[in-house]
Amino acid sequence: MSYLGIPALTFITFLPLAGLAAVLLVPGRRATALRVVANVVAGLEFLATLALLLRFNPGSGEMQFIERADWIRAVGAQYLMGIDGISLLLILLTSLLTFVATLSSWKAITERVKEYYAFLLLLEVGMIGVFVSLDLVLFYVFWEVMLVPMYFLIGVWGGERRLYAAIKFFLYTLFGSVVMLVGILMLYFHYHTFDLTAMLAAGAAPAVLQSWVFLAFFLGFAIKVPMFPFHTWLPDAHVEAPTAGSVILAGVLLKMGTYGFVRFSLPLFPDASRKFVPLIVVLALISIVYGALVSLMQKDMKKLIAYSSVSHMGFVMLGLFTFSPLAVKGAVLQMINHGISTGALFLIVGVVYERRHTRLISEFGGLASRLPVYAAVFLIMALSSIGLPGLNGFVGEFMILMGTWNTNWVWAAVAATGIVLGAAYMLWLYQRVMFGRLENPANQSLRDLSVREFATFLPLIVMAFWIGLYPKPFLALIDKPVEKIIRIVRSESAPAAAAAAALPESPPRASERGARAEVR
Amino acid sequence: MEQASVLAGLRYLVPEIALLGVAAAALFSHIFFPRKGRRAAGWVSLAGYLGVAVLVLVSPRSAGELFAGSLAVDGFALYFKLSFLLAAALATVLAFRFFDVEGSEPGEAYSLMPLTVVGMMVAVSSVDLITTYVAFELFAIPSYVLAGIFKKDRRSAEAGVKYFFLGTLSSGVMLLGMALVYGLTGETQYRAIAGALAGAANPLAMAGMVLVLAGLLFKAAMVPFHMWAPDVYEGAPTPLVVFLSTAPKAAVFALAVRLIAGPFGPFEVHWTPLFQSVAVLTMFWGNIAALAQKNLKRLMAYSSIAHAGYLAIGLAAWGEMARWAIQFYIIAYIIMNAAAFGLALLVRKGDTFAENVDDLAGLVRRSPLAAAAILVLLLSLTGIPPTAGFMGKYFLFAAAVGKGMPLLAVAGALNSVISLFYYFRIGKAVFFDDGPDGAPALPPSGPLVVLAAAALALLVLGIAPSIVGSFAVAAGLGR
Repeated sequence: MSYLGIPALTFITFLPLAGLAAVLLVPGRRATALRVVANVVAGLEFLATLALLLRFNPGSGEMQFIERADWIRAVGAQYLMGIDGISLLLILLTSLLTFVATLSSWKAITERVKEYYAFLLLLEVGMIGVFVSLDLVLFYVFWEVMLVPMYFLIGVWGGERRLYAAIKFFLYTLFGSVVMLVGILMLYFHYHTFDLTAMLAAGAAPAVLQSWVFLAFFLGFAIKVPMFPFHTWLPDAHVEAPTAGSVILAGVLLKMGTYGFVRFSLPLFPDASRKFVPLIVVLALISIVYGALVSLMQKDMKKLIAYSSVSHMGFVMLGLFTFSPLAVKGAVLQMINHGISTGALFLIVGVVYERRHTRLISEFGGLASRLPVYAAVFLIMALSSIGLPGLNGFVGEFMILMGTWNTNWVWAAVAATGIVLGAAYMLWLYQRVMFGRLENPANQSLRDLSVREFATFLPLIVMAFWIGLYPKPFLALIDKPVEKIIRIVRSESAPAAAAAAALPESPPRASERGARAEVR
Repeated sequence: MEQASVLAGLRYLVPEIALLGVAAAALFSHIFFPRKGRRAAGWVSLAGYLGVAVLVLVSPRSAGELFAGSLAVDGFALYFKLSFLLAAALATVLAFRFFDVEGSEPGEAYSLMPLTVVGMMVAVSSVDLITTYVAFELFAIPSYVLAGIFKKDRRSAEAGVKYFFLGTLSSGVMLLGMALVYGLTGETQYRAIAGALAGAANPLAMAGMVLVLAGLLFKAAMVPFHMWAPDVYEGAPTPLVVFLSTAPKAAVFALAVRLIAGPFGPFEVHWTPLFQSVAVLTMFWGNIAALAQKNLKRLMAYSSIAHAGYLAIGLAAWGEMARWAIQFYIIAYIIMNAAAFGLALLVRKGDTFAENVDDLAGLVRRSPLAAAAILVLLLSLTGIPPTAGFMGKYFLFAAAVGKGMPLLAVAGALNSVISLFYYFRIGKAVFFDDGPDGAPALPPSGPLVVLAAAALALLVLGIAPSIVGSFAVAAGLGR
């Protein structure tokens, strides 16, 4: 597939770069023109990624739209791109959230508008690039390219402690990724290629190497997710980032960690993945419960949502490392869900922050009477985040818990407390901000959502209901790739492999139907 | 017969001889035309570097050794000769602006620099202890003068004297090592020494090797022989620091490669741990010490110490991959360092140049182009893609992992993270801090051009590093 004669994946990766060039050509004084250009580019990018669906074959678990060219011959790195259903969904999420973030910045950003949009578009190049790369060096390059624009988004347009938050984010993630780089090199000297598909075709590496490289990758990915105890950069970065930055940080950047586990760790290191299940599961469970407990205690809305991400991403990690097809599919779907609901929640906080320049929960109360549309949007997204049946969060969490239950009921039981706590902190937040009497005089004159603001929420609301009520088209995209990955992870000892091959078809189907029945 | 072969060998030395001519021409123009001649000397030397670079490219490669086994003009040597010329040319461009602002132009700098380059060019070709030592001194002595070229400026004079005393000491140490090696083997030619040392490990021979390498480590300012570098770099005129912090280092690494691949090849088990520890110490020391620096030049001095540490990974993991890695990184390093010290010439403060990191505050508003170029430079120095600095580190780490030294690569990788901290203090000043009110936009200047060109080159090399390799292969360089 190609656009304008340019191969599709190259096109969608570098379209924002072309947009960046266009933004740079507009004089810095003409803020409106800059906003229009950036929004048009982000919109076009979303349409371009959407158009991938036209030619994409969801029935195949293989990589599609493959592009391959020599890049650095001396070390065998290639320009190799390709996507499967998992990457496609994440690409769609990325382009949607970037568009939403761009639109939401229309009024929020008044200083250095040109640089702002330039960095936002550069960030999109990095994010899309990460999801399409199948060569590990190329992947690494995009992975790092992302850091710089995010550093600037936080550092220039962020809150009071922005400089501290920006450098902390940069240092943490760079630390994780350089260790991963050494892991990538260790893999190279075993496989003599950086091509992921060729590595998978060649079979698993020796167990000792697997363990070391797994740990190296783990550091890179776990910091990004972030898993307890690597999460300490996240509250700072989230709280200080401008709204659009938080949306993308929570919506897409965190997914890169879990995507890394699905795409690289599980299939490349099946033995090590199985070996480290206890470690990961324990950390995931701690993340779930700890993140939720800390959320309960927060006074700052953004910080609350930031810690809730730690909890939610813990669910994703738990699902991935059960190796149960149902839970892994749920985890992949939950990545999308979390992107939608948490992205929306950060936008929601952004709306009142833009009007009041505070995010303290105690400053608000009784807003529902003054801002009815806003209250409705907030409610939908809060419930989606909690996992109310009928909304997207439920499907993912239910699949994860169900799959986990079949693997180990204790894990599922601990994780379920996270859902209860999640309902507690979210509803309490909603109650404190929305209900009661509107007492603070500063809130008397707040305006409700404008048309533009509502337009930014609309696609997210639609997605929340769509995935909640009819997740089938989304699950259809991830079915085959997930099954393929699970076959590899489970396939060391022959009898287990046979059992695994039999497993994925029947029981999960039944339970998925169950999940959907319950939704209705 | 002998005479004929000497004459025949001369054609391999055409670039060196031509550059000697350039040095003489620059000297005469400076002496005979005291007013305009100084700048003219600069232009003569700049044109000379370009012309000699062409001569290097078309120079014949010697199949074997020349001049009774003392020189080898192979692709490897030619590649490094080009890198010295690049460093000298960049320094000269920056010197124009520096001397304009300082108001005095020591014209002899323009003749001393080509002279130094001649010494380095001979040094990287030499495959004989005596030739190596003579060439080493040939490039060392003018470089002491360069460091102290502003005789009346206390800091410059101090830098020159410090560099001279410690430099001669290290030369002496190196000579002692060479004497030991010669005394044990009775040979001065690298190839013959390798043969003689191939047997049992003699402790005296090992001592000789360590002393010779210590002399080199000193010249490249590697821990534990790095103490002179921050003082000298801070005191010496900035454009000359660009030269002194790049070209001699490139020469040292070329010499070290010649030595470990040649006479000391049999001692691989001994020099591998030596370079491993030097690499780790130098990286950590350079980066950690840089964390505390506020002065731009001192910060860059420690940064360049750290970069020599990264390069030492290539020596520790010596092999085919490491050769390519060192060659690539040297080019990236020269470009980065020229731009980094060029940074110190970008902003004026009073009647001189900005000295501290804080003086760069708010630069993004004064010159977006400079700020963008600085961003690329900082990314490259830290080793973040898509820049040449990343690719260079990546090749070095790959060499280490390929040799079964993943921990060395991890140490290098961790150092990238440490260095991020101080490099982005510069980024913070440039992008986030508020500058002085009403500071005018930066006028276009030589350092700005160097910085922008360097940033572009770093990006291109970072996205398509193969062009260095393809160019080297096409031009017959590298081996």
